[in-house]
Amino acid sequence: MAQADSKRGERPDPDALLALVHSETRGKLKVFLGAAPGVGKTYAMLSGAKQAAREGADVVVGVVETHGRAETAALIQGIEMLPQRNVEYRGRLIQEFDIDAALKRRPKLIIVDELAHTNAPESRHPKRYQDIEELIAAGIDVWTAMNIQHLESLSDVVSTITGVSVRETVPDTVVDKADEVVVVDITPAELLQRLRDGKVYLPENARRAADNFFKPGNLTALRELALRRTADRVDDQMVVYLRQNAIEGPWPAAERILVCVGNDPLSETVVRAGGRLASGLNASWIAVHLSRFDFEETSHRALRRIDEAMRLAERLGAELARLSGRHLPDEILRFARRENVTQIVIGRSAAHWFARLRGRSLPEEIVRRASGIAVHIVTSDEPAKKRRFSFLRPRLSALAGAVPFLSVAVAVAVGMIASHFLVLPNLSMIFLTAVLFCAVGYGAGSAILAAVLSFFAYNFFFIEPIYTFTIAEPHELFALLIFLLVAVLTGGLAGRVREQSDSAARRVVATQSLYDFSRKLSAIAKLDDVLWVVVSHVAKSVNGGALVLLGHKEELDLGAALPPEDTLGPSEWAAARWSATRGEFAGWRTATLPNAQFQFRPLRTSRGILGVIGVKPGNAKEDLSAEDDRALAALIDQAAVAIERTQLVDEAAKAETAIESERLRGALLSSLSHDLRTPLSAIMGAVTSLRQLGDKMPASSRHDLLATIEEETARLSRFVSNLLDMTRLEAGAVNVKRDLVDAGDAVRNAVAHARSSFPTRPIDVAIAPDLPLVRGDATLLEQVVFNLLDNADKYVPLGSPTSVSLRTEGGKLMIAVTDHGPGIPKTELERVFEKFHRVAAGDGRPAGTGLGLSICRGLIGAMDGTIRAESPLVEGTGTRIVIELPVADARQDRLAS
Amino acid sequence: MSTATTVLVVDDEPQIQRFLKPSLEAAGYKPVMAATGAEALRLIATRAPDVVVLDLGLPDMDGKEIISGVREWSQVPIIVLSARDREGEKIAALDLGADDYVSKPFGIGELMARIRTLLRHRSREEGETTVFESGGLVIDTLAHTVTRNGEGLRLTPKEYDVLQLLVRNAGRVLTHRQILQAVWGPANVEDTQYLRVFVGRLRQKIEADPGAPQLIVTEPGVGYRFKAMQDDGR
Repeated sequence: MAQADSKRGERPDPDALLALVHSETRGKLKVFLGAAPGVGKTYAMLSGAKQAAREGADVVVGVVETHGRAETAALIQGIEMLPQRNVEYRGRLIQEFDIDAALKRRPKLIIVDELAHTNAPESRHPKRYQDIEELIAAGIDVWTAMNIQHLESLSDVVSTITGVSVRETVPDTVVDKADEVVVVDITPAELLQRLRDGKVYLPENARRAADNFFKPGNLTALRELALRRTADRVDDQMVVYLRQNAIEGPWPAAERILVCVGNDPLSETVVRAGGRLASGLNASWIAVHLSRFDFEETSHRALRRIDEAMRLAERLGAELARLSGRHLPDEILRFARRENVTQIVIGRSAAHWFARLRGRSLPEEIVRRASGIAVHIVTSDEPAKKRRFSFLRPRLSALAGAVPFLSVAVAVAVGMIASHFLVLPNLSMIFLTAVLFCAVGYGAGSAILAAVLSFFAYNFFFIEPIYTFTIAEPHELFALLIFLLVAVLTGGLAGRVREQSDSAARRVVATQSLYDFSRKLSAIAKLDDVLWVVVSHVAKSVNGGALVLLGHKEELDLGAALPPEDTLGPSEWAAARWSATRGEFAGWRTATLPNAQFQFRPLRTSRGILGVIGVKPGNAKEDLSAEDDRALAALIDQAAVAIERTQLVDEAAKAETAIESERLRGALLSSLSHDLRTPLSAIMGAVTSLRQLGDKMPASSRHDLLATIEEETARLSRFVSNLLDMTRLEAGAVNVKRDLVDAGDAVRNAVAHARSSFPTRPIDVAIAPDLPLVRGDATLLEQVVFNLLDNADKYVPLGSPTSVSLRTEGGKLMIAVTDHGPGIPKTELERVFEKFHRVAAGDGRPAGTGLGLSICRGLIGAMDGTIRAESPLVEGTGTRIVIELPVADARQDRLAS
Repeated sequence: MSTATTVLVVDDEPQIQRFLKPSLEAAGYKPVMAATGAEALRLIATRAPDVVVLDLGLPDMDGKEIISGVREWSQVPIIVLSARDREGEKIAALDLGADDYVSKPFGIGELMARIRTLLRHRSREEGETTVFESGGLVIDTLAHTVTRNGEGLRLTPKEYDVLQLLVRNAGRVLTHRQILQAVWGPANVEDTQYLRVFVGRLRQKIEADPGAPQLIVTEPGVGYRFKAMQDDGR
């Protein structure tokens, strides 16, 4: 590390420069630090602000506590005051700093007093320093003030010195990151004088505490803390400056500190000690929690304590790491060497008697083997009582409590019966069996209860004098005590094994559930279903409610919720938006809007934030356990991936639809282009030929050209009317009459029309006699039949006949138009009725309008009939279009009309 | 005319054939009709037509295939019939070796003029001409001089190359690609934007009114066409 640093020193350290750039886009924080209340922080801060305002800076007072002092109040005169936010709390109206107003006003500099202040519930952030962080992130400069006692890493030292415990603390990182720290310093004597003169404001109820607090000794100690802390800062700034400017520095070789976090109450003290050491040495530090592979931590309280210690370490600026291994000293030292750690901080409770039996304690082992690494051992005053009997703590269920009594009773009975028939030298084995039974079946607690019960029962029933708890022979007493020890140890260990297997089973269940979840998700393609699976799974995993909000930043929509309560309160919405915008956790038990009922976590994928997931744990009083938290994080990751996947599928489907409609449009254009242009080309060519070359042509050619013009004009007109029909059909503007129609007449008319239009095409007609009437529109029916004949003409080689037949079949009237053309492929039989669909694609022949059949289907459908295509008919050729129309009940119709 | 000029018309629409046949006959050509690509290839091989009029939309094969097939063994002039909105198709056909195109629907006069231009080019290739004259502009390819109304014009070598290429193909369309390839080489065939600017400059020098060019005519989306030499009104 030291080497790396000196090398790096030759040119500006990129990280340091990056940090500088970063700090330039943010607002600047200036902290006025005092040793104790009354040293004049606020006064100093406001004097500075007034000066800045006089020089024309855009200064606003966000919040300032003047405590009714005239000289302080006078300073605010002339500086813009931001209105306060009125909050009702427990029936009282209190005034709070209004962060939204401040963000809206956006001054260059804002004064926000009392850095350590705790905001009223319902505020966006629980702490004022979080408000200030947001202001700085928004690019606003902030001046604030605090007393040294509120600094997190010093709070235990302060309470030791003064005997006053500090509730409101500020993380060290806030002060460390401040751009400027100003110490407002007066001597303790001066401060006491000011106190006596009544110049220091103290709330009425704090007077007595204050008397204990304001003692010269305390004040001197606090003053020293404040000054030393600031001196450390000055040192840091010097180092940073040297690095930024690539000056070969005299800064110390980088120290790196490892703090071991255990599950005992001491760990918090260890973390604080490590933090102080790190900041004193200007070193980076890592807080590590170690767990053993073979010793699963099952106690809820111990897990909670580890989490809390780790969180504290994070607040104090540590990196976090969790390790697990078989042999803890090995793991710690391996990790320490890998991370170039120079100092280790570890706590030592008054050693566990069991550990003493086994040999050296963990700290001793580390001290022995950590060559080259300094080891600090933090000791506690009180012996770790709780730790010693920790294996008794598992709560016994009613059953696990009753079984030892039963099993010991059985052991007694078995012992009695056995001793009647046999002379057993050692009945204790029977009781040991009972203890093991309890251990394996119901855990360590149950086993230990059984061991104790066995101890008494054995004594009572089998040791002379029997039926008393007295023991005659000393060796009997000794044997009994040995029995108790063995029973407790074996029972405890067996129980422990069982608990671990339970915990492993629980983990298997959790893993299984995660696996099920991801498998379930992978099978679903629809977003709504995915969301539903996600909320139901997440709700189950936290034993409460869950919901998913999808969208981008401010625009979130409820995707799914369980239970389906769709009313989120304003603070829930605010928390959700915050989470989606910043990509951070928000809401319940977080730094932002902790009063919201839900905790929101971003659904983050490689494409960004898709939305947020909100969870409302069944037990709102307690944090999520570390285990649940991990499970939840895994669920949310899976959910994010699944949601992204369905969104991608949706997008792909949309793109496909777009391509399909593009293709349709292409087909439409090509159809229009071809079908309009061909007759136009023929007409134009014929007309221009006649004009320019007519006099050089024989009369027959001229007549033929005129005929071409006539025919092509008719064809164009048919096409245009087809287009218009289609448009009218689609617009629902076709009026289909419901008259009684003689279909025979319609067919005959259509055939006559077709014969005149396509004189070269032979058409056979077969109309059965005595046909019933149908209900419909004679003109439109005729048009349908003509369209079919037109189609047949277009697609069929010249000279091949088309036949039309008309008969009844199964109570329906059937019109069939049959040709001997190339036929239609099976896959196309339905598609030919689609708009602009043509079997031969592109510009080639045959040139259908691509409209005829779809118009036919539209019209026949309007007459309650059906139309379908059959092909091929004979040897792969020929097409038959069949229309079926319902026969009208003539009698009923007559009655009706 | 002892041996009539043969014109092969390849179009599957009977109504197009129906008016082209009498018109071509009336203009003194000998029309031969084909409705499919296969038939067209057979007729080009056996009847050796002087000009081919080819519709690009045929039932059995793409018209572009016919062009590339024919160009492997014949330089017969080919006029393509195509829809106005199918520039891509036209350009592809021209790049494959078609000589010109006519957009449907077309007047018979336009088609006749194209046929005449192509036939004239063919006859000229046999007896090489070195001096071209059009609208007061005289280009002497031997002397490498360009004069307008007797006044010498200063052209850069590239401008001269482009002008000469256009003039040699007067009346015929040349695609952007063909011009770029011939003058700048195969590496620059995509620089159509540059060509537009370049032709604009050339017009400034040779056109009487560069705002309304008469000599170098833009074929939108396809390329350029130099004004046809005076029709001999055949």
